[in-house]
Amino acid sequence: MERFKYSLLKIINISGLTFLEPVVRLCYGEEPRLQLKKIGRFIVIPAVTFMIFIWMWSIIAPVYKTKSGEVPTPAVVYEAARGVREFHDRETDKQTAYSLDGQDREASLDQVQEELKAITAEKVKADAEVMSAEIARKAFITEKLEPLKAEYETKKEEFLKAQLRRDRALKIKAAKVEKGDLQGKNNLLGYVRGHQEQTAAELDELAELKTEQDDVRNLNYPPLLEALKFQTDVAEQEQYLTKKEEILSKSNRSLKLDEEEDKLKQLQRQYASATGPDLIPIAQQMLRVEERMNNISSSEYAKPWTLPMQIARSVACVFAGFFLATAIAIPIGILCGVSSTFMAAVTPFIALFKPVSPIVWLPISLIIVGGIITDPDKHWLMVALSEMPLIGWLQINPAFIASAITVALCSLWPTLVNTALGVASIDKDHINVARVLRLTFTQRLFKIVIPSALPLIFAGLRISLGVGWMVLIAAELLSSSEGIGKFVWDMFNNGSSETFAQMFVVVFVVGAIGLLLDRTMIVFQRLVSFDGAPAAI
Amino acid sequence: MPILEFQNVSFGFGVGSDKYPVLTNASLSVEENEFVAIIGFSGAGKSTVMSLLAGLQTPDQGRVVMHDKPIGPPGPDRGIVFQNYSLLPWLTVHGNIELAVKQVFPKMSEVEREEHIQHYIDLVSLSGAEWKKPNELSGGMRQRLSLARTLSMKPEVLLLDEPLSALDAITRSVLQDEITRLWEQDKRTVVMITNDVDEAVLMADRIVPLTPGPGATFGKSFDVHLERPRDRATLNFNPEFKHIRNEVTKYMLAINAESKELKVVTDLKLPDVQPISLDKAHNVQVNIV
Repeated sequence: MERFKYSLLKIINISGLTFLEPVVRLCYGEEPRLQLKKIGRFIVIPAVTFMIFIWMWSIIAPVYKTKSGEVPTPAVVYEAARGVREFHDRETDKQTAYSLDGQDREASLDQVQEELKAITAEKVKADAEVMSAEIARKAFITEKLEPLKAEYETKKEEFLKAQLRRDRALKIKAAKVEKGDLQGKNNLLGYVRGHQEQTAAELDELAELKTEQDDVRNLNYPPLLEALKFQTDVAEQEQYLTKKEEILSKSNRSLKLDEEEDKLKQLQRQYASATGPDLIPIAQQMLRVEERMNNISSSEYAKPWTLPMQIARSVACVFAGFFLATAIAIPIGILCGVSSTFMAAVTPFIALFKPVSPIVWLPISLIIVGGIITDPDKHWLMVALSEMPLIGWLQINPAFIASAITVALCSLWPTLVNTALGVASIDKDHINVARVLRLTFTQRLFKIVIPSALPLIFAGLRISLGVGWMVLIAAELLSSSEGIGKFVWDMFNNGSSETFAQMFVVVFVVGAIGLLLDRTMIVFQRLVSFDGAPAAI
Repeated sequence: MPILEFQNVSFGFGVGSDKYPVLTNASLSVEENEFVAIIGFSGAGKSTVMSLLAGLQTPDQGRVVMHDKPIGPPGPDRGIVFQNYSLLPWLTVHGNIELAVKQVFPKMSEVEREEHIQHYIDLVSLSGAEWKKPNELSGGMRQRLSLARTLSMKPEVLLLDEPLSALDAITRSVLQDEITRLWEQDKRTVVMITNDVDEAVLMADRIVPLTPGPGATFGKSFDVHLERPRDRATLNFNPEFKHIRNEVTKYMLAINAESKELKVVTDLKLPDVQPISLDKAHNVQVNIV
């Protein structure tokens, strides 16, 4: 029991999830008051601040109105995340439907047809609800509008009468003014100005009343919004089911194959009975059908990119870049640490290239990769990668490679510098041990130098991965390489309130994945560090 | 016939006018299976002596010889125990010894090697801590491990560079006894550097003081004719022990005092300049502020 507790605490310590430590200790009844205090500080307080953040967000967001609608509130963002998720599930479902055959297909088709029936009933209901909500809204609006209209009419009439009255009075006044009566003329001018101002003010007031009416007409009516949302959901579901039905029946792979096979059999029969020059066109037709069958059997449902797939591609891309960076930075770093001559030779390059922004590296590497891989569909590397079992679906293309290279170029520096530092600052005593044992250069490197530099190397790797992840999103956005960055760009170009909310979803997704990557590196860093020094949070 | 010899060795750090002479004309010879303690004040150049013996440094003048041949680069025939342990922190107790054993006895079979390693772990009483890393060990245990690692190489000469000075008094006395016991079991030549007279008298056959630097050299040596095994409890009342201890201490204080005396240097060259009287110089104005 105690053993289990200590191994649990050790795991917590290594993984850096130290906020869980008081929970474990509390479960074992160890100094409950102290543990509760720690839980309060490290779990409750962060949770509370997060809640406050969400609350403030939901208050502040709707204040700002943009051309893409209101800034989404947490609830809207959550809804958008669910939408993203649902889109992914539906597409995956269609993908499986395409490759179903035999009884599975029939069973699935039956089920879809049943669901379609149900959804048709739902649709009728939704339409009715929208209709009644619209009527209800109309009644609601009319009720609010009536008094406003009445007020507008009365005011209008009133103002008209007043104007006529003022006109008549002015005419009388004008008649009284003599030819040389300068004072009188001036006074009259004043009266005319007063009359005009008064009229303008009255018109303004009327216009204001009119806008008030318009506002009422455009008033949101929550039941109607709800009904409309329900209607949209039902329509989307219906569309999806119809499409799925089509995939399961008309455009299913096995059905298409069957169809072609029938054609082939027929042609074979014709071929058997035909003679002489008639044989050639039939043979040609048979070959065409065979080729078609080949194409069909290797075809896949053309699934669009969904966010989860894009996330997977981004993670694959960041690791491709990160491993490339590691493969470059560690050997060079070790050489720098071992030989100060080499360090002197490399320093100008480090100093010069380190501050270069990813925005500059990306177009350069895009052009260079494009120059090497001129025809991506035929290039051996692209073909080989697209046929690899686990990563084939990622559709690795030149844009992916250019993004990965950009990530590598921007993220190799921390590893390089840390490796050089770790190797150069090796303890003199350890070198003495190597000398006494008469280790060869390679033995010295692998038994003394690298092990002693590992903690610093891993600290560098951790920074590199973090930098790489940040760079990648920008690189994908610019290179249109499918991934999270591309998703953000597409959503930005879409410009609807829903896509605006989905960009907020991405913020959390990117943050969470970055956090996860960092935590993983911390675990590695702790596993290789021997001096017991805790890695920084 | 001496096994190890310092023949008129001089050594310094730096070059040209910045040169700091550490040792000047130092001579010493160590017999086979002798336990020699080199004692000196801090900064006297004790660690330099050790580095020269180990081959980590080469003398500027003179020779350091072993079996009448100048010693080459450091090697396992001269096992050295460093003051600050020099353990590899990423390896376990077992791993630290294994690295040395594998390197020195590459032809040993795996079974033999395991036995060999275990033997030395048991020898320094580290049994049970085989799979601990150095940072999980106490200072005394670390120095035991360092000792075991060096002994496992079966060196001809054992060089101990202030092995106990980083330890607390109690651990220190335990390890003193332990090292003496090991040496008595398995006699070999030992050169130990220390700054503790008691330690030297208790452990060594011969004590060689190092005069204070710069330009240190070996002083008059003191033979210790105390019977072994030496018992620390009764030794305090042994007149011979007290005598040697007092002799060595007196000598050390005397050479220290001598080194601090103001020395009149007679052969100092002065520049050939004549003073000028300002009174008679017309073109010099002296402004008194």
